[in-house]
Amino acid sequence: MTTTDQGAAPSSRLEEFEREINELKVRAQATGPEGRLLILGAVLLVAGLVLIAVAWVRASGTNDFNDQISYLISGGLGGVGAAVVGCALYVRTAMSRYLRYWLIRMVYEQRAQTDRIVEALKK
Amino acid sequence: MPEPTPVLELSGVRAAYGRIEVLHGVDFVIPPASVFALLGPNGAGKSTTLKVVSGQMQPTAGQVRMMGRPVAGASTEALARTGVCTIPEGRGIFPSLTVRENLRMVTYAGVGLSAVEERAYTQFPRLKERRRQVAGTMSGGEQQMLAMARALTTNPALLLLDELSMGLAPLIVEQLFELVAQIAAGGISILIVEQFAATVLEVANLAGLMLHGRVQQVGTPAELHDVLSGAYLGGVDA
Repeated sequence: MTTTDQGAAPSSRLEEFEREINELKVRAQATGPEGRLLILGAVLLVAGLVLIAVAWVRASGTNDFNDQISYLISGGLGGVGAAVVGCALYVRTAMSRYLRYWLIRMVYEQRAQTDRIVEALKK
Repeated sequence: MPEPTPVLELSGVRAAYGRIEVLHGVDFVIPPASVFALLGPNGAGKSTTLKVVSGQMQPTAGQVRMMGRPVAGASTEALARTGVCTIPEGRGIFPSLTVRENLRMVTYAGVGLSAVEERAYTQFPRLKERRRQVAGTMSGGEQQMLAMARALTTNPALLLLDELSMGLAPLIVEQLFELVAQIAAGGISILIVEQFAATVLEVANLAGLMLHGRVQQVGTPAELHDVLSGAYLGGVDA
């Protein structure tokens, strides 16, 4: 049997490996940053739309021009801002996911194509 | 004498693809400079275990320790930089590049091409003859040699081999496993995932039998030899 000594003295490579492993920065396990961005985007978009709706209801319920202006600025503009940022985040994350999938698909296709060519050359 | 710190230790590792859990608590330990063969039929979770160890998948529960330190959460690149090297199923070479160009791809680790070539050709003289050949046109065994040469020139501390024998003639497989034994003798710890048990048991110090996402039994190759045939035929209860 061609086995190796299990209790071999730790080589310098092993010590180096241990040191490098100890220097590794291990982040806490959680959902990927991309998943969080997608959720954040969706939440901001919904929150923005809700803010706009609330601002519209409150502004239409008062005849005071000053109040209407303040609802317009804090609710309307804030809501539009939140919705635009949320939408942009969501689209950006969804697009990068889709494009990554597309890239993997292309790499896979290319490999399959190479295999087919190699197979044909062998014949 | 105190036991040496294991190079790799998995305890209660669970992992899932989306909502489908495929590892239901994997436990095993790889001591320094040893060859551990993880065996089991198709779909047992062997390749997923390898993905978790190499950082390509994050476990949903349990611990992965290297040299005694938890590493779950570390990125694949960071682990690769420390010396965790994977040779994936299907060899992981660039089929449309020549042997030499494939070797050039490992110079990212900071070693010059001439040094990489020297090491690769000393260990695998066949590759020197084929250095100008497009890798995809070589035989399966030669491609596997190239994959191993690429891995070894990065000076790994832990080598992860996925289905080394897949699609290769028995004689070639035997030669490759002899190489594996030589590599382990050099102080590198190796985790081999295999479906076909007989040849790998000849070079392994320890073996684990994996069924339905769990390591059912760990022991020396001799201890596992008898259990294996039963397991493949469905004789061992999960």
